[in-house]
Amino acid sequence: MKHGRGGRTSSGSGTAGVKQGFYTGRWSYWTLVLPILALIAMFFYIPVALAFFWSLFLERPFGGGSEFVGFQNYDRVLSDPEFWNAMWRTLIFMAIAPTLAIGLSLILALAADRGIRISQAARNIIIWPKAVAGASIGVVFVFIFNPFLGIFAPLNEMYPGIWNPRIDGGDAFATLVVAQVWNGIPFNFIILLSGLQAIPDGLAKAAAMDGSGPWRRIVDLQLPLLTPQLFLTFVLEFVGTVVEAFGLIDTMTQGGPGGATNLLIYKIYVDGFKAYDLSGAATQTALLMMFVIAMVILQFRLERFVKYER
Amino acid sequence: MTGNAIAMEDVRKAYGGNLVIPGLTAEIGGGQFTVILGPSGCGKSTLLNMIAGLERVTSGTIRFGRREVQDLAPKDRGCAMVFQNYALYPHMSVRNNIGYALKVAGVPKEERRKRVDTAAESVGLRGLLDRRPSELSGGQRQRVAVARAIVREPSVLLFDEPLSNLDAKLRHGMRMELTRLHDRIGATSVFVTHDQVEAMTLADKVMLLNNGEIVQYAAPSELYENPATTFVATFIGAPAMNLLAADGEGAGIRLPDGTLLTKTPFRGPVTLGIRPENIEIVPDGIPCRTVYSESLGSHSVIVAALPDGQELRIATPLGRRMTPGEALSVRFMKGAIRLFDPESGKRH
Repeated sequence: MKHGRGGRTSSGSGTAGVKQGFYTGRWSYWTLVLPILALIAMFFYIPVALAFFWSLFLERPFGGGSEFVGFQNYDRVLSDPEFWNAMWRTLIFMAIAPTLAIGLSLILALAADRGIRISQAARNIIIWPKAVAGASIGVVFVFIFNPFLGIFAPLNEMYPGIWNPRIDGGDAFATLVVAQVWNGIPFNFIILLSGLQAIPDGLAKAAAMDGSGPWRRIVDLQLPLLTPQLFLTFVLEFVGTVVEAFGLIDTMTQGGPGGATNLLIYKIYVDGFKAYDLSGAATQTALLMMFVIAMVILQFRLERFVKYER
Repeated sequence: MTGNAIAMEDVRKAYGGNLVIPGLTAEIGGGQFTVILGPSGCGKSTLLNMIAGLERVTSGTIRFGRREVQDLAPKDRGCAMVFQNYALYPHMSVRNNIGYALKVAGVPKEERRKRVDTAAESVGLRGLLDRRPSELSGGQRQRVAVARAIVREPSVLLFDEPLSNLDAKLRHGMRMELTRLHDRIGATSVFVTHDQVEAMTLADKVMLLNNGEIVQYAAPSELYENPATTFVATFIGAPAMNLLAADGEGAGIRLPDGTLLTKTPFRGPVTLGIRPENIEIVPDGIPCRTVYSESLGSHSVIVAALPDGQELRIATPLGRRMTPGEALSVRFMKGAIRLFDPESGKRH
């Protein structure tokens, strides 16, 4: 992986022959990073490693020993059509939600950056939802999209049954996407807006003198110079669709109706904690981890298109 | 090719209720090198941006030749601009930076390449066309900015303090190059700066602004020798012109304490202006006492106190060192004295 600006700066100060940091002795470094390392290990590395480990065993649901079975769990999971359905839904969700969340944020950020009418107020209003927890968003959206009380209630009165996320899988999936996108916009908006505002004013003036209009400047100037921020939101959104979606699914649809919103992350939870298929859940966790790692590696290969020069 | 003349008529600019330029009328000669000079906040950059089309005029007209341009977009005015901080596109190569305007204008690739080569050649950038701006030195970046401005062969070339980011040596070199470039391409050049040395060396004519109004608009030598107001007198020249509060008694001008300064006939209270280099040290002149002296190699600057306590800056080529407290006597050279009205600051 190439280093970004931050990487270059730190190595730069290192080569200048200046001793990095203010602390002497290696132990002070370790004591300072130890708490966070311990937390990350406890809640991420150890569980993931254990999931990989358990995926090779057949665990009994109510305790009482386990048995090494090699790759039998993988065999079982990979031949289960339900796994592939959940995987497929995850992929579709991954394709739609981040695209919308970043695309809409980008439009809002471009508008706010240009300082169009009421953008000052809009900027605040857009940022506030960041303070709302994922689960609460789910509860709120269940209400907003309620077929009889929500915003589509009048539509249902005109064409009965046209909108009902409790029965129609497509409607439920759309509701989930909207909630996820709505959840992602504030953060993306902040990052993209700050990126746009960091582009020197003089560049826009120079481009205007060169005959480039506002729309052309977006394409030729702002988007290329915004690639670092776009890349960041892109990576975070992708991971977010796997991780954050859980809270939304759990409060809104519980994977239903008919499994239409049963993404892999939720299926793992149900399999493990509701159906007590501990080995199956561990195996799927391992597969999901591998999938996410593969996605992130793929994304960082795209980093060569990112322009860090300012 | 000779550039268009720029005529501004009653141009005003207000931000909210704050009037930055309260009605400015002036004509900038076609093909001339005009420097807009003034202290920071005097409205000189605003004026330049309005000529460029980057800011709208609140009222008034701007004409390039016969064409009214105040409502046109920058690209339709046929002018180009060099910015203070270069404003190069960091994600484009030098070639694409210079050629961007041509690309936007839809010039075919082959012709674009030729014109970029020519422009780069004329500012000495050959061999650097494939670099990124971040790989260039300050002076090279400035050249790219100039090449980008001249590649479209504009009839009006605008400069917004383009040399202020360069070190003193580079600045001198760039001044020479800009003068030569101007002579060669013949565009009307408007150059904004707060540096009086740039104004004196580059300009055919200097427009000195203060608080959004033209204080004096003349050739550099005229500004130096015949400043219209005390503001011009102190703004141009380093060390600045001495301004002494004095009284005319008909046959001569005296300090308030009665010391005779000059036999120039004048009556009434007056501000007497004299440039430091027009003061001679003579055996029996106006008595004063050295306060401070510094040697600048080619000449020395002595700060002396007159009998009534007013300070006088004297530039002497003698390389003579004076110690503080030492007495000396001086004479103001004939014909170098300028008299100003103490109330309005305007020249008599």
